[in-house]
Amino acid sequence: MNGSVKLSARGVSKSFAVAGGQTIQAVRDVNFDVHENEFCVLLGPSGCGKSTVLRMIAGLEDPTGGRIELDGHDILRPDRERGMVFQSYTSFDWLTVQKNVEYGMKLNGVPAAERRDRADKFIDLVKLTKFRNAYPKQLSGGMKQRVAIARTLANEPSLLLMDEPFGALDAETRWNMQELMISIMETTGTTVIMVTHDIEEALFLGDRIVFISRHPGTVLQDMTTDFKGGKRVRRKEDVLTVPGYAEMERDIMKLMREQGSEEEQEA
Amino acid sequence: MPTPDAKRRTWRWFDYKKQIPARWVIALGIAAWAIFFAIWEISVPLGWVTPLLVPPPQKVLTALWALLTERDFLSDIGVSIYRVVVSFAAASAVAVPLGIAMGAFRSVEAFFNPFVSAWRYLPAPSFIPILLMWFGTGDMPKLALLFIGVVWFLATIVMDHTRSVRAELIETALTLGGNRKQILWTVVVPAAMPNVVIAMRQMLAVSWTYLVIAEIVASSNGIGAMMMRAKRFLHTDEIIAGILVIGALGLLFDYLFRVAHRLLFPYLEEHGR
Repeated sequence: MNGSVKLSARGVSKSFAVAGGQTIQAVRDVNFDVHENEFCVLLGPSGCGKSTVLRMIAGLEDPTGGRIELDGHDILRPDRERGMVFQSYTSFDWLTVQKNVEYGMKLNGVPAAERRDRADKFIDLVKLTKFRNAYPKQLSGGMKQRVAIARTLANEPSLLLMDEPFGALDAETRWNMQELMISIMETTGTTVIMVTHDIEEALFLGDRIVFISRHPGTVLQDMTTDFKGGKRVRRKEDVLTVPGYAEMERDIMKLMREQGSEEEQEA
Repeated sequence: MPTPDAKRRTWRWFDYKKQIPARWVIALGIAAWAIFFAIWEISVPLGWVTPLLVPPPQKVLTALWALLTERDFLSDIGVSIYRVVVSFAAASAVAVPLGIAMGAFRSVEAFFNPFVSAWRYLPAPSFIPILLMWFGTGDMPKLALLFIGVVWFLATIVMDHTRSVRAELIETALTLGGNRKQILWTVVVPAAMPNVVIAMRQMLAVSWTYLVIAEIVASSNGIGAMMMRAKRFLHTDEIIAGILVIGALGLLFDYLFRVAHRLLFPYLEEHGR
């Protein structure tokens, strides 16, 4: 699982100008590495700037300091090599599931026959085969997220970015989607960076957990989920009984609580 | 033995946020019109109004029939429809692309919006005298009035709808490798289009309003001109017939737009899974 360094963030910071000529620092001196084929989770309390970090990796926002490199190249703008799945549903209403999944390939000039084959493969992977010709309005929230995931993967990015992708789903759908992510990782071997504030999700999916502190966000702890012994657990309930799970969950909850209490002091 | 169902309340006439039976929805809708026509019908015999000013319904229908069969009213209707359709097509051809460009790009908005917004506040009918001097008495001044009555409003509404296309849709396309031109045509335009068509439907109703103003003030043909001729001869039945025809045409065009909306955007229907 620990291949060469894929992405590296060095001294990354981000300030926003707000009304009244002031600036707010959202992210300060963030450093971490993500390795090839790794599932990296950016975890932290809400409003800690972890989504801002992800958006900078996507190239949707520019850092005000430091640099982010992918395969040794600076990230300067959005690109198909860094596909992003958002929390809100982004399937295009006017396209069928099939056309949605083909959309990215079409932008990049993939020939029609290959588009169809690759779309079929990823529609099967996310188990939407029966809904290939349905429009998004006819799909449930979980299905719409699966369309978004298939569309991004079919475009063959070298890095899959996910911003709280299952945050809007109900509990049962959420863990179904998490198990789906495990099988996707096993099939495709993509490198993934996912933002979440759900500790269970982080422990179940993550090979690496980068804990970001509350505002201004910076890396508080960079952990690997060694208790899983370098393997991926396929079922959510099974991970709960792996020795070491409970300890790591407790440590992270403590971190989270300390972060929360800071806010109470400010208030 | 009484079942629990026996105690369950049936529907009531006045309940908050509750449905009433479908047949009553239809019956009540018809009833309002029936009462309206009944009052209209009996108001002359009962001496509430003079028949000269308020002709009874059947007299209006007779007048409408006579207009259509003997007085070539159809060509007046044709002229009016032609004016609305041509001017509206021209206004849409300018306003829709302009509105989309303004909604999509801040630079285009910064250039056009102060100009376009200001023109909205100049009442279109106030241009009638100058339009008559510029274009004479043909179709041109009417087409111009309808055009300026619609184009600024439509452009602004289209701009708003385009601006409210969700950022995540555009950002998704960016991270899939889309360039600006691709994103305009494959995300921004299709995402805004359903609302653009609704805006067009609403502005078409405005177009009919300006048409009547134009034809009443300065025209020798068209539905409004017929009504002004009828006024000269105290033919109130013909005036009311004209009002009915304009209302019916407005309804028809609105209906056509609804049908077009359903045909153009079938994917918006949630059922059919």
